[in-house]
Amino acid sequence: MKRIAFFCVAVVMVAGAVAFTTSASGHSDEEVAPVYGVRVPPGYRDWRLISVARVGDPLNDLRAKLGNDTAMKAYREGKLPFPDGTIIARLAWQQVTSEAITNAFRVRGGTETHLSPEQVEKLVDGSFVAGPPTNVQFMVKDSTKYASTGGWGFAQFNNGKPADEATHKTCFSCHEPAKNSDYVFTRYAP
Amino acid sequence: MKRIIFSLVAIAGLAAVVASFNPASGHAAEEASPIYGVTIPPGYRDWQLIAVKQLQFAGKGEQLRAQVGNDIAIKAFKEGTRPFPDGAIIAALHWTRVPSADNDKVLDGPFPGTHSFVVGSPVNVQFMVKDSKKYAATGGWGFADFTNEKPGDKALHETCFPCHAPAKDRDFVFTNYAPAP
Repeated sequence: MKRIAFFCVAVVMVAGAVAFTTSASGHSDEEVAPVYGVRVPPGYRDWRLISVARVGDPLNDLRAKLGNDTAMKAYREGKLPFPDGTIIARLAWQQVTSEAITNAFRVRGGTETHLSPEQVEKLVDGSFVAGPPTNVQFMVKDSTKYASTGGWGFAQFNNGKPADEATHKTCFSCHEPAKNSDYVFTRYAP
Repeated sequence: MKRIIFSLVAIAGLAAVVASFNPASGHAAEEASPIYGVTIPPGYRDWQLIAVKQLQFAGKGEQLRAQVGNDIAIKAFKEGTRPFPDGAIIAALHWTRVPSADNDKVLDGPFPGTHSFVVGSPVNVQFMVKDSKKYAATGGWGFADFTNEKPGDKALHETCFPCHAPAKDRDFVFTNYAPAP
């Protein structure tokens, strides 16, 4: 778990969130993440899309990065550093095979696209959809409060529960290689 | 709780409508898809996320994909409403998948040998528009595929509905709503 948490912190984005009580995700998250004091921002699941990503073995997950309005505006205007109030959310799901898509490949692949059964199975093997959620991470910009960590507060929640302090201590160091892009790895997907 | 969700959705939906008049959000293509006459809905890039996936295509390699929906579609997904109501629009954004050396470098500490992938360049965008009368012959859905804002040809659009037919018991929609982690 610790490894997974560390990894997640490492790859993409994390951020904290100043939150209220409930989120549109349906979770009731009163708990505050250690170190940065960040909560799950309400309604983050309804935020707009920044980009998507996938990580292979051993994690095998699919990811989406969403941003609040401040984040989206900054991304589109190419504004760095991100302004205070920016929140970026990184959602991750286990990758799973879709029965519906698999069937579609097999039906279509054999008839109209004239692919061999082996080719069809290759398509099936390389295709995944988002399955059960794994965790969500946030990066919250507050240049005063988080001055010692590049202006960012970080948080990771597993099933609505914040990860431990040790996990959160790895956030910033992992994001340091992205210093030139204000510690954010993800680019906006056009 | 549900009411809170609904009102959030409603607010977000309004926001999406407002955003759709914002030229900054994009595409003003007037060209319609053959057969179905679907144009690119303004502001679709600002719609809310339904789910993500990776798809492998013969000769095209892997793609990373995101499905987003207008407010009617998102509400139907969240409430499990099937068939989707008229006015629902689902957009599928497709990008090439490229390896991320930067991410791999970071990952190599905790997970040696991990390969990570990010979005490369846009490939195409597809839309499904629900109008149970206008598109009665195709399950109530109109389809469209645009590359660089240009609609694909008639032959391409003739493949849309047959390909979605296996998903008939889910109103011809493959994608499931990805729950919040």
